[in-house]
Amino acid sequence: MTLMIFTGLLCGAALGFVLQRGRFCLTGGFRDMYLAKDNRMFYALLLAIAIQSVGVFSLIHFGFVQYDAGTFSWVAIVIGAFIFGVGIVLAGGCATGTWYRAAEGLIGSWIALIFYMITSAMMKSGVLLPINQKISSIEVHNNSISTSLGLNVWVLIAILVVIVALIMIKESRKSKIVIPSLKPKKTGISHLLFEKRWHPYFTASLIGIIAIIAWPLSEATGRNFGLGITTPSANIVQYLVIADKSFLNWGVFLVLGIFIGSFIAAKGSNEFRLRVPDVKTIVSSLFGGIFMGIGASLAGGCTIGNGLVSTAMMTWQGWISLAFMILGVWTASYFVYVRPRVKKQAVAKQAVSPASSH
Amino acid sequence: MTKVLETMGQVCPFPLIEAKNAMEEIKSGEDLIINFDCTQATESIPRWAAEEGHKVTNYEQLSEASWTITVQKK
Repeated sequence: MTLMIFTGLLCGAALGFVLQRGRFCLTGGFRDMYLAKDNRMFYALLLAIAIQSVGVFSLIHFGFVQYDAGTFSWVAIVIGAFIFGVGIVLAGGCATGTWYRAAEGLIGSWIALIFYMITSAMMKSGVLLPINQKISSIEVHNNSISTSLGLNVWVLIAILVVIVALIMIKESRKSKIVIPSLKPKKTGISHLLFEKRWHPYFTASLIGIIAIIAWPLSEATGRNFGLGITTPSANIVQYLVIADKSFLNWGVFLVLGIFIGSFIAAKGSNEFRLRVPDVKTIVSSLFGGIFMGIGASLAGGCTIGNGLVSTAMMTWQGWISLAFMILGVWTASYFVYVRPRVKKQAVAKQAVSPASSH
Repeated sequence: MTKVLETMGQVCPFPLIEAKNAMEEIKSGEDLIINFDCTQATESIPRWAAEEGHKVTNYEQLSEASWTITVQKK
């Protein structure tokens, strides 16, 4: 138990710190692929996946880690990932994003987080469990891409590594523009940790490494998986309401650690302040949290559990849910950001030229 | 003329979206002062300004989690 608390909190704190300082926001990243035609954050995610994949399959190869891909509940995963994608736009951040923004003092993220945790618990052991089970029961046996294709998993990993390497070479050749930054007020290690802008690919590499370390740490406590957010978040609610200690696992301390780590990062860099949102943001966060909890539970994971970890494990669940999560983000982005703007412009146009239309 | 855009309390990406809209309303050489408290905007707003070729004439942290940036339209 002490080991579980210690390593879980420590791994979570490291992740939370890196997420906050690296401004690692996949919701923003997926959204900007569509709104700004900017793929940087998506490439950063691919880099983190590739690093983790090489690391974890090496650990599996040498017998340090055990992993079973299980079955593939394709209907639940497709629907769930899409709903989750819509939810994270409304909530203004994915599951980890909501945890670390809550630690920056954004009350809107607290609301999203609370509803995300409650609805996940409802889906996993509460009143919504029968619906979850019914949809999830539509499955195909094989979740491992390498088994389905009859290929050695290292072939798939090699393909991913080559793709990521090519992207990184192409990105490094792009002409760099100088981005204005704040005047540094700190020096030395304090400047590097609490002030300096972190490059997304540097942040992604750290996340990849933390994701590898998470596997043996988690398995040492009997939990055979890497980073995960949704189930542990639900476990907190389940433990709080029925006081069953079996809900306390390594993942619970991981997510609590994320909160602590990002709070330290935010506080240390003068970026913590309690911020009360307007009514519109409150309502949006509330629905975002509900969609996130239902979606991630159906899909069997969030941006981290599916998008970062299950992808690295080369499962259908990981890659297909990633695709539908992104589709969900784009769909919601259209209704939240694009459509209101188009409408506003149309109204403005009418207001300017009423005479010419008659 | 200098235009001031208050986006305190707005979550990302709204400060940036508002900034883009406000930029269309000012003339070349004029300043837009954007006050914001969304942490992610400390990265996204200067990045947008640099990519669009606008000049950042002032950028500082006002207090805990609040910033101001002045962007001169190209």
